Amino acid sequence: MTKIYPGGNRGLDEFSLSVDTGDFLVLLGPSGSGKTTLLRCLAGIERVSAGTISLGENIVATSSRHLPPERRDLGMVFQDYALWPHLTVRDNVAFGLRRRGLARDARRSGAGDVLARVGLGHLQDRFPSQLSGGEQQRVALARALAGRTGLILFDEPLSNLDANLRERLRIEISELVRESGATAVYITHDQAEAFALADRVGVLQGGRLLQVGAPEDIYGDPATRFVARFTGLAGEFPARVLGPSDARGQVEVQITDLPMARPMHARVMAGTDGGRDVVVAIRPAAISLCAYDADAHHVTGTVVDVAFRDRGYEHAIDLPGHPRLTGVLHHTRFDRGATVGLHFGAQHCLVFPPEETGSSLSSDAAVAHGVPV
Amino acid sequence: MPLFWVALAVAILAPCASFLLLAVSPRLFSQGGQWFTLTYLRQVFTGYTATALVNSIWVSVVACVCGTCIGGAIAWSVSRTTLPGRRFIPATMWLALLLPSWLPSLGWVELFQNGGVLQRAGIDLPWLTHFILGPGGVVLVLGLRCVPFAFLAITAALVGLGQEFDDAARVHGATRSQAMRLIIPIIAPAIWSALAIGFAESVSDFGVAATLGTTANFPLATYSLYNQINAFPPSFPGAAAMGWLLVLSVALPLGLQTRALRGKSYSVLSGRTRQAVRRRLSWPGLVGALGGISIFYLVALGVPAIGALMGSLVSERGSSISLNLVNYQQVFHNGELFDPLVRSGRYAAITASITVVAGFIAARLLTKVRTKAVRMLDFLLLAAVAIPSVLFAAGYIFTYNLPIMSTLGINLYQTQTLLVIAYAASSLPLNARVLVGSVSQLQPSLMDAGRAHGAGPIRAWLRGIFPVMSKPLLVAWLLTFTGVFLELPISQLLYAPSNPPVAVAIESNLGNYHFGLGLAQAVTAVVCAFIVVGGVLGIYRVLAPRGWRRLGEASHR
Repeated sequence: MTKIYPGGNRGLDEFSLSVDTGDFLVLLGPSGSGKTTLLRCLAGIERVSAGTISLGENIVATSSRHLPPERRDLGMVFQDYALWPHLTVRDNVAFGLRRRGLARDARRSGAGDVLARVGLGHLQDRFPSQLSGGEQQRVALARALAGRTGLILFDEPLSNLDANLRERLRIEISELVRESGATAVYITHDQAEAFALADRVGVLQGGRLLQVGAPEDIYGDPATRFVARFTGLAGEFPARVLGPSDARGQVEVQITDLPMARPMHARVMAGTDGGRDVVVAIRPAAISLCAYDADAHHVTGTVVDVAFRDRGYEHAIDLPGHPRLTGVLHHTRFDRGATVGLHFGAQHCLVFPPEETGSSLSSDAAVAHGVPV
Repeated sequence: MPLFWVALAVAILAPCASFLLLAVSPRLFSQGGQWFTLTYLRQVFTGYTATALVNSIWVSVVACVCGTCIGGAIAWSVSRTTLPGRRFIPATMWLALLLPSWLPSLGWVELFQNGGVLQRAGIDLPWLTHFILGPGGVVLVLGLRCVPFAFLAITAALVGLGQEFDDAARVHGATRSQAMRLIIPIIAPAIWSALAIGFAESVSDFGVAATLGTTANFPLATYSLYNQINAFPPSFPGAAAMGWLLVLSVALPLGLQTRALRGKSYSVLSGRTRQAVRRRLSWPGLVGALGGISIFYLVALGVPAIGALMGSLVSERGSSISLNLVNYQQVFHNGELFDPLVRSGRYAAITASITVVAGFIAARLLTKVRTKAVRMLDFLLLAAVAIPSVLFAAGYIFTYNLPIMSTLGINLYQTQTLLVIAYAASSLPLNARVLVGSVSQLQPSLMDAGRAHGAGPIRAWLRGIFPVMSKPLLVAWLLTFTGVFLELPISQLLYAPSNPPVAVAIESNLGNYHFGLGLAQAVTAVVCAFIVVGGVLGIYRVLAPRGWRRLGEASHR
């Protein structure tokens, strides 16, 4: 499908995707990548300009046909929760049950059950303004779950919460949605959140779907440099391939204009056409720090910043004449200004062609999974 | 700062408080024998005053409900649909707000009265004349007067009401109309405000009561208060008792509004609020909306404007409808007719300048830490909004006429100074409210940065604060200027003998059956007011540095 806004801006450009029933799909992308547009098209809040959206066997949107949101039978959790401020918590949640044709009492008791499940059974008579941010988010989740719809949409629901609460609610969302058996489409720009929640992750850029797959596949075999960058890189460097690839698909590379104690090994990614000039993208997990005089290091660098993290120390390291490496974790601390040696593990050093490619997946590859959305 | 408090006490608190006290304790002011009595309050509920009070209340209820419905519908069309020409509507609403109520009222009277424009043109519509020159006309003019208030209040609420509430309803199964029914209560604070302000404005209105009300023989509370003071001998305690009931009538809905919203938060604005989507109107919808809004403008502004204009262009004598400029020639050549215009311009300019300074000081105080004194100021200014102008003026007449004032050497009664003080005091509460929004957004660091970089307090204020505040101050000045220039009740009760302001001169001409002259004066006054507003805004646009003008403007992509 394609979505063109008035004024010609293409929100989604020949986008193609399908989601299995009961799947938890997370769409990951930066601002302006089309995540929200896609979600709003699925919900029926936006009309598609070309193409088709199907929910199960039903076509709900084409360029000439638009099933209104209320007839698509889905639930949605909004970024700002969108709780109606004049209704109590119970009435907000009960609203999601109206389409089931239940009597008022049944709706209210149903809402009470869902609220109990999200741990808010005791706050049913409060108004949204009397709740904390986390509680409001739970109400929004309860409202989406209450209707027992086959599809639940999540529009960056955790983006307004602090880190601690975000983690707790992420687990709750994962648990409750899977328990309900609903299919979930969840959008975020947070890579960690995406990998933690998803059965499958889709990465978007400029209204196109670049890659979709299991979190491990996206991290291990990113289709493009953009996907690699958006799912976490320590740095990218121009490099030269020194020889042919081996049986494991690895090549020996030399980073351009950087004195290296010895060449490093890296994995050749799809789309690299065998040219000698490449870009090597290095995941933080690929880098081991050691004293600069150790035998095993490939290059030496200078520590410019160090930050304590719960699992060790995260370092930022300057390499002469190159952009700095960031997010380099080590269990001990190297002080600022210290010269260190860096060793690169081949598994997470990825070779890409020098030109940035932004093409989307072919339709065939994208719809390889089961039933259309 | 103590001077500011003394000025407030003398200009607002003392006249109103002593006048209201008079109703229950006339002896305190040597106006009767009793130290405490409820006789005057009881008297209000009998005879002519009771009729006037009941009339005022039912007319105001109908007017505020009708005004809120019409204003709300226009606000919705402007904010949420693709209505053509919607950009011009807010400006015209402000225009309607600037015009005092007596002006459209005069237009209607001139059209329909015996010997009026319609009769002279040979158009006889007895049923319509009966409707306009009766309670129907009063409700119509007051109701239309409520529309701009409702429009502005509800538009502000709709702007803050993001699309997500509607989307959430639709996604969870609500149809378009169900979603609308769900989200209308979210703008309840604005609807309540519109109703409360509409009621308060209508019940305290003097312009319609003094023009259409008297022509229609339909007594209203404010005019009955005026009559008690204007009678010979004046009955100050009786007027004060009516004043109590007027204040209660205004304060009650405002209090009810606060009570209705207490404990509920309807805050819906956030940094991520999604702009509402405009609904494309269908052809019938478009015709209906445009037709409805055109009828509103025609009835609210068009018909009275035509009435006033036509009335000013026909000769004083005779029954023909031949149009000429004789009345205007007289206005411009006869000093007695032209001087009130100049005089009112002078009063308005002086009052606006005083009030803007005082309003800024008050706004600064209101946005500071809430000490007891600040809370008192807040209450005083809020309470003053609820005091009808006619009561305010009556309080001035009574207080500054007391023998003790002469003893103290304050001989201000029947002077132009007292009139200007009364204008300023009555304009201050609204002015402070207008400025408080902008002042509350002022970062203390603006001033501090100037001081830290070497500027003295005055220079730091002029360089750091004044440019940021220049536009709000200008708007407040213009609002006060137009309000005072065309003001009627305070002018009517407090003008210095042989120095009538323009509204009084117009009233006097109309009262003496010089309809053409009075209306020519009225039209000239309105044109002058618009010339001043346009001229001052134009000068600001030309002379103010570019950076000053850019503040608060939206960027164009």
